[in-house]
Amino acid sequence: MIPTLEIKALYKNFGGLEALKDISFNIGRGEIIGLIGPNGAGKTTLFNCVAGIEKPTAGQIILTHGDRTLSIGGKKPEAVTGLGIARTFQNIRLFDNLTVIDNVKIGRHCRTRSVFFGAVIRSKFQQAEEKAISESAYQFLEFVGLKGRGQEIARSMAYGDQRRLEIARALATEPQLLMLDEPAAGMNPQESRDLMDLIRRIRDNGITVLLIEHDMKVVMGVCERVVVINHGEWLAEGLPQDVQNNPKVIEAYLGTGAANAA
Amino acid sequence: MFLQQLVNGLTIGGIYAMIAVGYTMIYGVVQLINFAHGEIYMLGAFFAFTFITVLGLPFYAAFPLAMVCCAVCGVLLDIFAYRPLRQSPRLAALITAIGMSIFLQNLAMIIWGSRAKPFPQEALPAYFEKTAVSFGGVNLSWFHFFIFVLTIVMMAGLHLTIKKTRWGKAMRAVAQNKTMAALTGINVNRVISYTFALAGALGGAAGIMVAAFYNSLYPTMGYIAGLKAFAAAVLGGIGSVPGAMLGGVVLGVAEAFGAGYLSSLYRDGISYAVMIIVIILIPAGLFGRVLKETKKSM
Amino acid sequence: MGKLELQKLTRGAKIRIGLLIFALILPFLPFVTDYLLHIAILVLLYMILALGLNIVPGFNGLLDLGYVGFYGIGAYTSGLLTYHFGLSYWVIIPLAFMNGAIWGILLGAPTLRLTGDYFAIVTFGFSELVVLFLTNEIWLTRGPLGLPGIDVVSIDLTLFGGPKWEFIGELPYYYLAIVMVLITVFVMYRIQDSRLGRAWFAIRDDEVAAVSCGINLLAYKVIAFAISAAFGAVGGSFFARWMTFLSPDMFKFWESFLILCMIVLGGMGNIWGVMIGAVILVSLSEVLRELLPLLGLPADVRFLAFGLIMVLMMRFRPAGMLPIAAVAAQMRAGRTKRRKSKPAMGIKK
Repeated sequence: MIPTLEIKALYKNFGGLEALKDISFNIGRGEIIGLIGPNGAGKTTLFNCVAGIEKPTAGQIILTHGDRTLSIGGKKPEAVTGLGIARTFQNIRLFDNLTVIDNVKIGRHCRTRSVFFGAVIRSKFQQAEEKAISESAYQFLEFVGLKGRGQEIARSMAYGDQRRLEIARALATEPQLLMLDEPAAGMNPQESRDLMDLIRRIRDNGITVLLIEHDMKVVMGVCERVVVINHGEWLAEGLPQDVQNNPKVIEAYLGTGAANAA
Repeated sequence: MFLQQLVNGLTIGGIYAMIAVGYTMIYGVVQLINFAHGEIYMLGAFFAFTFITVLGLPFYAAFPLAMVCCAVCGVLLDIFAYRPLRQSPRLAALITAIGMSIFLQNLAMIIWGSRAKPFPQEALPAYFEKTAVSFGGVNLSWFHFFIFVLTIVMMAGLHLTIKKTRWGKAMRAVAQNKTMAALTGINVNRVISYTFALAGALGGAAGIMVAAFYNSLYPTMGYIAGLKAFAAAVLGGIGSVPGAMLGGVVLGVAEAFGAGYLSSLYRDGISYAVMIIVIILIPAGLFGRVLKETKKSM
Repeated sequence: MGKLELQKLTRGAKIRIGLLIFALILPFLPFVTDYLLHIAILVLLYMILALGLNIVPGFNGLLDLGYVGFYGIGAYTSGLLTYHFGLSYWVIIPLAFMNGAIWGILLGAPTLRLTGDYFAIVTFGFSELVVLFLTNEIWLTRGPLGLPGIDVVSIDLTLFGGPKWEFIGELPYYYLAIVMVLITVFVMYRIQDSRLGRAWFAIRDDEVAAVSCGINLLAYKVIAFAISAAFGAVGGSFFARWMTFLSPDMFKFWESFLILCMIVLGGMGNIWGVMIGAVILVSLSEVLRELLPLLGLPADVRFLAFGLIMVLMMRFRPAGMLPIAAVAAQMRAGRTKRRKSKPAMGIKK
């Protein structure tokens, strides 16, 4: 199977700190992959390298785009989004003071074109484009379960709804790979179940999902494969149940004693 | 000609350095470009002028007294204009600084009139005029020496204060990390006020020297001098005191040579151009650090 | 418009239409002198300038201290083109717009990647350089002597065998200014409600999130800056053909600050707030100019009042009189906002 994303021997140093060391794994098209590891393992740094916010110190990140493969390590973030990789943030970064619908419409930015003259003259092209932006934005809102909430201000939404809005915005960029950074954080069991359902529906629409998550129920429930990293290094990889029982993984999370007891 | 311009450059450069360190110190502790700093420089000149002409004080008394008044002005500026906005976004603080600058300029215009005044030369020591040294066709008067020596002494004093004294260490701590400084028991607000006082005193001293040496003081003199000194601070690396000192001298010399050899009309323009070029090409300046983006919390 | 449709208009819209009608009949009201018309035109001119500047701090959250540079460039370019080539004003308007935009791009491209403080200073330096240039290049601008004898605006139909109608007095300029203001407001509204406007608001709200949506920060900031400069230049062109005289000291930093005050006072980012700010400050300036000498103070002291107003505004109502939610929130949250850990000075990645 042609991988959507190949991460090859990725290194990232911050000054003296080696945040990522020789990380390699692949993500196949249509898979839901979980990326787990203790706090500080380097998961978000990995996301940032893929998304273009950090430049890898060494190694390659290769994206399959259409029928070509592209090395995207070091590309600027807006370019990476354009190539079809969208991400959400651990701390939720919405456009707080804009409406819900505007948040999603901005997600359509990379797939649309008109700038100044279009805005002022309202050419046929621009009008058609605006209509399309609006319609698709409402569709994305409905998809994540926020139908009818378009005019609310993003800042005033409940936490769980804000997460879903951020996902809607990311989906609006029409990604082939969606990277979610701890989407279940702070959610109650019902919300987590709804989230898992949403992730499955996203995958059923042809989007590959890479997921950082600490909530093991979500990881076990929705991920097909799990990659474990610790101290910036690849630790283990495989089916969720196998990884769960891997002594090295248990040791990483709980310490040596627990591994022996397992 | 060359030596003459060099002497001119070093003289005005020392002055720029004294104003520039004020900008840089304040920026270091509160991350604010104190637009009103130039006005403190201007007030120094006017305070001295007033003390001499109205109160009849001798130069040697008026000078330090004016410096003290400028220090007080600096502290008042901080307490009333900037401190309330400590937690506000930069935009608000910047606008306040500009507003204070305009306010003070016009206040001076009301109090002292907008026309340029000559500095009361009779109050200056008589020997200032006399030539101390003469070489290569250039005459250095005792006044020149006074300025050189005073500038060097003050700069050295500042350097020692920052490096050796408790206050200096506290200033550096606050400049690096306010929260940590507060956690180690430093009274951050007090340190900031102290910084403003120090900056004000030095700026005021520069103002007095310029007014006396060039024999002219006017309410808008702080505007241009302030901008140039800021250019010097940028050149040296904003936040670095030695950088500001060096930047001041370099800028002064560059300006003197530029005005002497290229075009005296664009004398002021040289500073603006230097500043723009430095900011665009080497924002860290000569000694500054380009502050690494603090790790984004994602 | 039928009576039913009239009722459907919102209260805000009714107020605005009322104001427009008032503005249109203003010159014919009994107490209105030429002097008052002159002030009114000044208000309208500053509305255009303020709306132009509003794009940068209001829509994008950056501080432009050098706006007067574009105003001056626009004025002198128009003045010189008219003086030497007798170009018609209707040709000059688009030329001024493009000229302003080009200068905006030239200045913006290298500087908009800088953080806020540095950017403000560089724009400041730029406008000072413009004034220096205008003052010193006497062969071009006649320097401090000023540039007199600029043609008034005229509508020239001679090519079609019609009359040439020159603008005489304040009245024609007044209506021209109203038309220009209306066009400016129209453009601003259109931009606000478009992909371009949304991209700007995204940048203003959270740059990292904006980038993750594919927005190229530098490109869009440059666009904002260029459009802002373009409007400044158009304002300048009007000024040149209205005053028919230019001199470098009309384009000092004070103008930038004044226009900034209008935006801040009225409410940054809010189109109507900005226009109200223009009305208040220009009127205040003129009132003080007349009043202060009566109190024995020099007229220039009104600048002192403005400085004080700005300081007080920032202290007590930093988002302005008609704040928009986004700016108000930012002013409240300030530097403690958890995600905005920007470097103090430097180049951003």
